[in-house]
Amino acid sequence: MPTARPRAGLTCAALACLILVAGCERPVGCTGEYCGTMVIASGGEPDILLPPVSEFSITRDVTDQLFLKLADLGASGNTIGDEDFLPQLAQRWEWDTPTTLVFHLDPRARWQDGQAVTAADVAFTYDAYTDTLVNSSFRSSLRQIAAVTTRDSLTVVFRFRRRYPEMFYDAVYHQRILPAHLLREVPRDQWRSAAFGRAPVGDGPYRFVAWKAGESIELGADSTFFLGRPHLRRVIWRFTPDQQGAVTQLITGDADAVEVLVTPDNVQRARADSALATYPYKGAAYGYVGFNLAAPGDSTKPHPLFGDRDLRRALVMATDRERVLRNVFGDFAKVPPGPLSQLWWIWDPEIRELPYDSGQAARLLTRTGWTDSDGDGIRDKDGRPLAFRLLLPTTSAVRRQYARLLQEQFRIAGVEVQLDEVDFSLYNERARAGRFDALLNVWNTDPTPSSGFPQTWTPAGFGRSNYGRYDNPEVDRLVDQAVASAANRDQARRAWRAAVETLNRDAPGIFLFATSNVAAVHKRIADVTIRPDSWLALLRTWRIPADRLTDRDRVER
Amino acid sequence: MAAWLVRRLVASMAIVFAVVTITFFVVHLAQGTPCGGERPLPPDVCDRERAVFGYDKPLPVQYVKYLAALLHGKMGYSFGLHRPVADALADAIPNTFILALAALLIDFALGLALGIYQAARAGRFGDVAAGNVALLINSMPVFWLGLVLLLVFAQWLRWFPAGGPHNPILCPRVDSPYCLLDFLWHLTLPALTLGLVGAASTARYQRAAILEVVRQDYVRTARAKGLRERRVLLVHALRNALLPIITLFGLAFPFLFTGAVLIETVFAWPGMGRLAVNAIFQRDYPVVTGAALLTSAMVVLGNLLADALYAVADPRIRVRGGEGGP
Repeated sequence: MPTARPRAGLTCAALACLILVAGCERPVGCTGEYCGTMVIASGGEPDILLPPVSEFSITRDVTDQLFLKLADLGASGNTIGDEDFLPQLAQRWEWDTPTTLVFHLDPRARWQDGQAVTAADVAFTYDAYTDTLVNSSFRSSLRQIAAVTTRDSLTVVFRFRRRYPEMFYDAVYHQRILPAHLLREVPRDQWRSAAFGRAPVGDGPYRFVAWKAGESIELGADSTFFLGRPHLRRVIWRFTPDQQGAVTQLITGDADAVEVLVTPDNVQRARADSALATYPYKGAAYGYVGFNLAAPGDSTKPHPLFGDRDLRRALVMATDRERVLRNVFGDFAKVPPGPLSQLWWIWDPEIRELPYDSGQAARLLTRTGWTDSDGDGIRDKDGRPLAFRLLLPTTSAVRRQYARLLQEQFRIAGVEVQLDEVDFSLYNERARAGRFDALLNVWNTDPTPSSGFPQTWTPAGFGRSNYGRYDNPEVDRLVDQAVASAANRDQARRAWRAAVETLNRDAPGIFLFATSNVAAVHKRIADVTIRPDSWLALLRTWRIPADRLTDRDRVER
Repeated sequence: MAAWLVRRLVASMAIVFAVVTITFFVVHLAQGTPCGGERPLPPDVCDRERAVFGYDKPLPVQYVKYLAALLHGKMGYSFGLHRPVADALADAIPNTFILALAALLIDFALGLALGIYQAARAGRFGDVAAGNVALLINSMPVFWLGLVLLLVFAQWLRWFPAGGPHNPILCPRVDSPYCLLDFLWHLTLPALTLGLVGAASTARYQRAAILEVVRQDYVRTARAKGLRERRVLLVHALRNALLPIITLFGLAFPFLFTGAVLIETVFAWPGMGRLAVNAIFQRDYPVVTGAALLTSAMVVLGNLLADALYAVADPRIRVRGGEGGP
């Protein structure tokens, strides 16, 4: 048989390859409660793993596993007072005076290089966060703290400039405590490029293992973590170019979890997959059409269209926000009763706002002189058509969809809208410089309105986040009252409500959606609890029961 | 030959310099800010960062400083990645290079085989069918073909992974034959996407080249000697018909690197294309310019190599001092 020999040779070679490959597979050995591995697909990658100098939420997700806060937000999400906060690095705290807060650190806390975490680390961290050389974005959030000093190696004292309801929140929420002994020698103006930021040493439940740029970050559980050993032995973030790519990795089984499924289609796909469980939670984002109240490029003059309050009110009333929202989000968002995210405790569907009323909108437009004099379907006044340009970023599929639906609704109302779709970088530049008529913007909010709201809707945000330069002294007064003077939560709530209702009457924007997020996690992972402001904040308690472990959970390196 | 090579090298450096200069000015003059990420930097923070990076200086000053740094082998610091540009590129280049190489292999292996097959059956059903399939693939945008392959083979059939170069749990590094196979398994879809599109056009060139050659007298002579058709095609005709393919080899480099920009994004492949795309969106000037510098250098070198191969492969072509390249 002339062909038998080569075939036998081929078979032997293939068999040898298989044996070789099988022999080189990773050994599968880990058993018990602490063997799980979770792969998280993420649509972004951290820039640096050093909390003061990164603004990305993905950085926060990773560094929250590496670095502890003094205390963390509780499940209620209440940011007022200190009663709903949970101890982390600080074992306990007390108020020496109304403006002096004393933290007692947990003596068991250790940096992952073995050094004890001390009060000096806390003082060093505050100093770094507020140093202009470090140039942290969080510096402004700490402006009410006058000083942080040490009393002894485990006692640290925060002194505030004045008394206000969210003092404790400001003291603990923005800062992750950093190791002074490892960062002291790094020049402050070089923190954004510090080698520490690519291989950090922390004091959290997980320790840094590896970062492959553009690919993945791996953390390993710190089995000696003083607040309790994390159940998942390994957590790996896999990076994809966008969130849709992350969802694809989840659906194909290459990942175990994603933070947000983004579209109703994806939610359906995840729910149809028997291996996945979905977890709805409140979203931190709200989206709106913001009107520029100042002339584009010249903030001293009013905008030729949107300087007119009645015109703005008419456009709000001409918009069927509920219908557009159903088209884009299905059930996974709500029409907000003002510039509010669902995360905020001041969210209240009873807040009064302008109704959808196309008839009243038309009458108001006519009364203000905007009529269709030439019968072309577009209203005009003094020979000028009622037309404006809507600025939005090309990178947001949701906003592009919204823009087209709004364009059609406005057309029916006799208003012509041209879309200015630009990349995100240019969008930000033009928004900040006020070079737009109206923009379709989204804000991702902190857990409290106290910082974000004034920055966005009062003159404090001019040149920053108040892109449309909205200014009403009555709103400013009510916001000040809510943020700084409220004696209790009810009083603050009333002040917030009055501020939002006043703002709604001025119609500086059309508040379109407040997101409701849905995360998806593989069903073998149990005890999944999601805190809406930071979805992985409680990751330490997630686990994979021993009887649900797969080979990839058990694999050893 | 040496003089020709020196001249070509000088010309290549001039081309790379021109690309760097154009890229530098275009990316700096483009509207947009490097501070506008997911959570844009506050203006005061942004202004301080811009000053640290020297972006507050006039553009010609920045350009001169950039060139001076380049001459010292420094490509600058990334605004968005917080690391030296050279480090970021060093991480990305091997991935892009491997992807391009694998795609090139598929391109030429498949393209040559298909071209020969079509030429051997010119005008018959196999030729027409293969030609139309090749035309169909060639007409598809490369990212679209990538998405289709991703949908079919990763999402529906689950034969291949949806993206990335490794299984991060089992094989974070290629340190065993098993992990090498894992890497090749991850490489298959992106390389196939790029390679298929290239192969479709290579096949058309190859078919035409062989049909051109088989009309030559020496092929007729080979047939008259009674050689089998397979030997006539593969031994006598193919060698001469390969010459245009060397030109195609040179042309393939720009296609592979521009194609990689899209394919790396579709398949989450951490290469230079994806790095450059992110940098463009974030206005990370040094990364964009660095990526353009390296890509243009590789394309120019690829073409140089193709020219040299052409001169070596075809004894009829002689490179003379006064004439440039072939």
